[in-house]
Amino acid sequence: MGRLFLIELEGRIYSCRLCQSHLGIADDIISKAFHSRNSRAYLFDRVVNVTVGEQEDRMMMTGLHTVVDIFCVGCGLPVGWKYEFAYEEDQKYKEGKFILERNQLAGPNVNAFPFVEAFGLVGIPEPVDDA
Amino acid sequence: MGGVEDGQPPSKRLRLSCAGSSSVSSGVRTEEPVAASSLRDSMARPRQCQGEEEVIGSRGMIKKLEFVRLIAGALYALGYERSGACLEEESGIPLHSGAIKLLMQHVLDGSWDESASMLQNICLDETIMKSAKFLILEQKFFELLDNGQTMDALTTLRTEISPLNIKTSRVHELSSCILHHPHSQNGYARKDSLKPKLRSEVLDELQKLLPPTIMVPARRLEYLVEQALNLQRGTCLFHNSSDLDMSLYADHHCGRDNIPSRTLQVAVNGEVVLKHRLCGHQKSVCQVAWSPDDQQLLTCGTEETVRRWDVLSGECLQVYEKAGFFAVSCAWSPDGESVFAGFSDKSLCMWDLNGKELESWKGQKTVKISDLAVTLDGKQIISICRETAILLLDKETKVEKLIEEDQAITSFSLSNDGKFLLVNLINEEIHLWAIDGDIKLLTKYKGHKRSRFLVRSCFGGLEQSFIASGSEDSQVYIWRRSSGQLVDILPGHSGVVNCVSWNPVDPHMLATASDDRTIRIWGLNGANMRHKVVQNNGTHQSNGKL
Repeated sequence: MGRLFLIELEGRIYSCRLCQSHLGIADDIISKAFHSRNSRAYLFDRVVNVTVGEQEDRMMMTGLHTVVDIFCVGCGLPVGWKYEFAYEEDQKYKEGKFILERNQLAGPNVNAFPFVEAFGLVGIPEPVDDA
Repeated sequence: MGGVEDGQPPSKRLRLSCAGSSSVSSGVRTEEPVAASSLRDSMARPRQCQGEEEVIGSRGMIKKLEFVRLIAGALYALGYERSGACLEEESGIPLHSGAIKLLMQHVLDGSWDESASMLQNICLDETIMKSAKFLILEQKFFELLDNGQTMDALTTLRTEISPLNIKTSRVHELSSCILHHPHSQNGYARKDSLKPKLRSEVLDELQKLLPPTIMVPARRLEYLVEQALNLQRGTCLFHNSSDLDMSLYADHHCGRDNIPSRTLQVAVNGEVVLKHRLCGHQKSVCQVAWSPDDQQLLTCGTEETVRRWDVLSGECLQVYEKAGFFAVSCAWSPDGESVFAGFSDKSLCMWDLNGKELESWKGQKTVKISDLAVTLDGKQIISICRETAILLLDKETKVEKLIEEDQAITSFSLSNDGKFLLVNLINEEIHLWAIDGDIKLLTKYKGHKRSRFLVRSCFGGLEQSFIASGSEDSQVYIWRRSSGQLVDILPGHSGVVNCVSWNPVDPHMLATASDDRTIRIWGLNGANMRHKVVQNNGTHQSNGKL
């Protein structure tokens, strides 16, 4: 297989529960008051290391949205979706933002020196933030 | 001692000088030409042509008079003196007016006073006149000086050159020549700019000063033809053939079959002869770099060490590492005397071949997935220093320049001349940057697919005028470098094409590596095909640089 291109994040990191690829950092969370079918979900301003699926219109609790599912680059796990378009005026703030489903995430883990993590030197686990 | 002999035949361009009129501005001789009757019809009324100039060519853009003068100039430049004179005579269009011809002859003969006074006869702008006079008198001055006539030279400087009141600093330079003359005592050597020129060079300079209508630029026709060829080459979409293949007989055009578009060979294990197995790395190898002399290899294990290998013996010659951190990239210096590597503490390091650390650069200098390159002069180190930025670090001055992108950078490659950088981005774009001098984005290339992998691109073809890239849709993409136009998409692989490498010597050969566990060699469509697919049965490595 070719070499996966994975971006390394710094800060309090949420990663893929299966392959630990970094997905987002706590500082980029806009809201934790979201829900998916199976779990709680967080709205992120920026998410990395994901591929996108097909666009589709989906009726949510807050109205009709055009979304694309997002998948972990490392293992293909579906980890949430991205809002492409919101039909309701008061939902426009979600456009271009990402949902990560809490039950697909590991972390947040502090990663001050992201490179060193692979050596197993750092990677202090923090209690899961359920607030 | 006589004047400087410049080898010009004394009779050059004199043939018509005696008959030439001194009215320069008209440019058309008023005499009835002794020409063939067909020509005489058109040329018999030259005076009327002045108001409404005769034009030729399908668009009527070419003034006949100018064209004929250029042809005559070209004939003389080719050494066809008689033909040139014959053309002037037959067409009734002189290449140069009588005054100019006389002037040129005087210059070639070294008759400087006559040349200078001749200038008065040519109606010229005051400043041009002065510059031209200066040029002629300066040459007179130098030739006198070289003849040992120092006093005469001084007189020329005082009474002829200085009163022109131009180029004061140059006048000072000239006077310094007198002081230091004669002949380089105490080791003083005159600069080339303070020596007499060849008289033909004086003519060339004179021509640059005078308006082109008065003195036609030398080799102007050649220049125009070259311009046309250049334009044809520039607009030739698939241009990938030598200039020797261009002809004046027909407009130049390279077909699609001039770029590698056909698989010549599919190399999987067994197809090529295994020479050595380089054993030592504990993890997969992410970068491989040939030494400048092709005798050694530098390899970087992913999150591991850098190793140097002897290609002939397959022996590992040196391991480069940094305690507590792992290597992320590696590169050779252009002289092959030192090696560079990036490390997980974000620093860059330079060693001599024996592993002695020569220098290290700390701080934010690299990221975990980064390429590393050194420019041809060995001065600049290039590395991805942040997700969206490439660092150009001057080794000596420590000056740091940045290429900043909006999107994450996955890889880059440096052009052969070291002046351009091809940058691959996460959003399926490849950007070409000029890094020589001012950093500038030149061209964008789009069309290939990328969502998960590190997919590389490269320069290639004749004068590196193409860009090739791998793609996650199993195809190879080729763009024209200058325009960014996608010119070909090559199907054939059955997995992600990770890496492409254009043969640096043969512009018609391209190699690609894929997740289908094969390497494909591409060549011209007309070439013989040696397509053999051998069953794949072993390890693969296609994520590094080819």
